[in-house]
Amino acid sequence: MSQTKSIRVQRYLPEQEPEPFWQNYEVPFDESTSILDALNYIKDELDNTLSYRWSCRMAICGSCGVMVNGIPKLGCKTFLREYGTRVDISALAHFPVERDLVVDMDIFMEHLEAVKPYIIDKSKGRPTGESDTYRQTPAQMARYHQFSNCINCGLCYAACPQFGLNNQFLGPAAITLAQRYNLDNRDKGKRERMAALSEHDGVWSCTFVGFCSTVCPKHVDPAAAVNQGKIEAAKYTLINLLNG
Amino acid sequence: MMKHHIAKDEPLWWALFSAGGICFAMLVPAAILVFGLLMPMGIIPASAFDYESLRGLGLGWPGLIFAGGVIALPAFHALHRIRHSCADLMLGKESVNKVWAYGLASLMSLMAVGVVLVNLF
Amino acid sequence: MQKPASYRPSMSRRWWLQHQHFVLYMLREATVVPLVFFAGCMIAGLWALNSGAEAWVSWQAFMANPLVILINLLTLAASLFHAATFFPLMPRVMPIRIGAKTLPVNAIVGGMWAVVAIIAIALVAYFIWRA
Repeated sequence: MSQTKSIRVQRYLPEQEPEPFWQNYEVPFDESTSILDALNYIKDELDNTLSYRWSCRMAICGSCGVMVNGIPKLGCKTFLREYGTRVDISALAHFPVERDLVVDMDIFMEHLEAVKPYIIDKSKGRPTGESDTYRQTPAQMARYHQFSNCINCGLCYAACPQFGLNNQFLGPAAITLAQRYNLDNRDKGKRERMAALSEHDGVWSCTFVGFCSTVCPKHVDPAAAVNQGKIEAAKYTLINLLNG
Repeated sequence: MMKHHIAKDEPLWWALFSAGGICFAMLVPAAILVFGLLMPMGIIPASAFDYESLRGLGLGWPGLIFAGGVIALPAFHALHRIRHSCADLMLGKESVNKVWAYGLASLMSLMAVGVVLVNLF
Repeated sequence: MQKPASYRPSMSRRWWLQHQHFVLYMLREATVVPLVFFAGCMIAGLWALNSGAEAWVSWQAFMANPLVILINLLTLAASLFHAATFFPLMPRVMPIRIGAKTLPVNAIVGGMWAVVAIIAIALVAYFIWRA
């Protein structure tokens, strides 16, 4: 590791400075050094006051999301070798910043909760556990499988200007998970989810910018899910109007 | 239990926007090619556009399809995007923008479809 | 539980200039500006047909104004750019499934471009035949 790279990290230390500021670090790197490795190096060797979230190092826990040169990335899945001389790391956009690279994701959690992202089945014939389980064919699973790969990392929210402009917008991941369960043949809870999706701040705030799908580290295509949700919300609203 | 306020009008605007988007992509290029470029540039001879025969066409049933597919639906497509662009650029108030945007689209549709209908019936 | 102090970044009106993806998005949205002009031209054309031969001739003269032709050239480019952004979204929003397989995106997009070409060729051919 003879080469080093200069990395700028946006710091926010409310007890010292009321505004965020940039700080430079010189980090050794090779072909395999990820952004997360660089942050760990800074924390261990250069500056133990740096705060950031991480856990699995393998793009499944979804906790190391940061902006790299203004684009949402998972720190563990993004490598220093991909960048030239400019590497600016800052906290995920559109969320309140608590400290350095740590954001407050409560609003995202609220939006997730609002769409009930779990199987709802109150029918009499539902499986009761033990040896009694649901049956699902590969064709039935194919309908929702792509949307079930979401790891709740929040990159799509940081990529979405509509969420940036109005944080009451349910947002890409929440609507995608609603669509994921709506498409699941084991689920009977579509009606309960559609009320939230059919609000102004539900699917209708989306203008198909599509950047959410570009940045998604799991190739979920939230933009497609949100716009499938518009068709469903239109149907739901029409049925509601007809029923008075 | 949270009270949900369903946006009753949005499905209508979105349906018109989507239908207009298909028309903008599939019908409008042909219309621009003929009436915006080939006719005025004289590439298609003027005899193809003589008043007497085109009047029957333009203010008849083909004209109704033209008014709907090349003017009315694309107008709703356009004004829906303009309404959302105003929000993107933080211009005006959403409730007011909706009124003038869809109002203008309705007016354009009425002017196009209306003049054909008056001649048809 | 009380939340710790936090910094809330605000969005600037020029947010869309910060990334190429957003610039292309705004360009896509802007395709409707020349479209509104063209729709206005077509409304005027229908009204000219309704008014009489004289109005029709002066409408044709208006359409032949070099500036109007230039704007309509831009409108054609805008409509094709719109189509190029719109078609790939259709199979994503309305996937056509046969069993567990989804119809390939390229086939659907190619089919839609074929429809654009067929309509354009048919309309041009019809007016050439009239002449």
